[in-house]
Amino acid sequence: MSDVATATAGRRSLARRHWAEHVLLPAEMAGRELTRRRTALGLLTLLPLAFYAASTSNSDYAPVLGGIAMAFSVSGAAIFCVMSSRRLDSRLVLAGYRPRELMIGRLLLLESLGAVLALVFSGVIVLGSHPADPGELIAGVFLVTLCAVPFGLAVGALVPSELESVLILIGVVGVQLTLSSDDPIAKFLPFWGAQRLLDQATGGAGATTWPIIVAFLYAAGLFVIACWAVNRRYANVR
Amino acid sequence: MLTASGICHSYGERKVLDRVSLTVGAGERVAIVGENGAGKTTLMRICARLLAPQAGTLQIDGRVGYCPQLPGLHELLTPDEHLALFSPAMGLTRGEGVARGRELLAEFGFPPKDRRAQIRHLSGGCQQKLNLTLALLGGARLLLLDEPYQGFDHGSYMNFWDHVKRWSNQGIGVIVVTHMLADLDLVDRVVALTPVLAEEPR
Repeated sequence: MSDVATATAGRRSLARRHWAEHVLLPAEMAGRELTRRRTALGLLTLLPLAFYAASTSNSDYAPVLGGIAMAFSVSGAAIFCVMSSRRLDSRLVLAGYRPRELMIGRLLLLESLGAVLALVFSGVIVLGSHPADPGELIAGVFLVTLCAVPFGLAVGALVPSELESVLILIGVVGVQLTLSSDDPIAKFLPFWGAQRLLDQATGGAGATTWPIIVAFLYAAGLFVIACWAVNRRYANVR
Repeated sequence: MLTASGICHSYGERKVLDRVSLTVGAGERVAIVGENGAGKTTLMRICARLLAPQAGTLQIDGRVGYCPQLPGLHELLTPDEHLALFSPAMGLTRGEGVARGRELLAEFGFPPKDRRAQIRHLSGGCQQKLNLTLALLGGARLLLLDEPYQGFDHGSYMNFWDHVKRWSNQGIGVIVVTHMLADLDLVDRVVALTPVLAEEPR
């Protein structure tokens, strides 16, 4: 092997090690802490199921309501994850972590847990509601998770206390639930893409590409805001 | 090692630090004393660069180890997991960090059986020993210790000051916030902070 190839392989190995230690290790520890909160995890799972079960009499709207209600659970977990770690995060950053590494770790962890919840929950809705287009419904539920994690991370990073964070969560998700996906205001809220697909899965018609693009743009934008907020918080340390 | 000059800080309209200056050299032991609300913790947070001063300058050479007054540990993680989490940030592998942290914990008299217990099940003194260990893990050149022995028993408290002397002999600068007058004989210098008096309305 030439010297250049050896040096490149060495750099890649170091980068992999850095990634594993600085991103995956905080994610692992956040995962350990979260999975030890069994009662909270049970409630997070039951909450969207309760919304779905309570609205099954309105068969067209139940999948939309249940699917969007998943944002309460996933964003709530993300907010808790950020806010409960603030005191220790400052020490981790002082020790040498970059704030965005801690956020990327949490994003990966919560998106993974959210994907498991989305898989279970979309199965329940498909079996319970027999939507016209199960594929769109599953995509819609996964898009809720995709946006809910960075939304929770951004709110947790920006807002000073838990009460305000929870009120923002209830406000945004609540307003999204009360509006139709055709309403112009709904399009400015983070879960519109998911809501649109869930609407279309239960009988509506429309394009699928644009709502998916919008959901990805929202997720990316919200995550950038979350990283900006934590970078700003610890700007003096670094 | 640390030079802070003209540091000012207020919370809203309440001024807590007014043109405070502090210098700490290598191996120097400095105690910061003052009544409640005098700004001791605020000054420590500024020195740790966790808080930006509203005026003044701060210069620090080398890695800082900060032991805050409130540990802020994750309640459901164990001491070993905390050591693992801090290790890579300090340039240690997970195994090295846990091994080094266990050595430090043993030096402070931390019971080995508690290393795998969740933080919420540990006594306040044991949590504080872990808090102190995390500050020391990365080989800091300057230690900022904000009432680090809260919850310590008498033996641990005396042992702590033996450690301070040893760190000082190794060239590590140590700042300790304390309320205990007996500690003042154990340091090289005492810095007294006094609460900033609000101006009386005319």
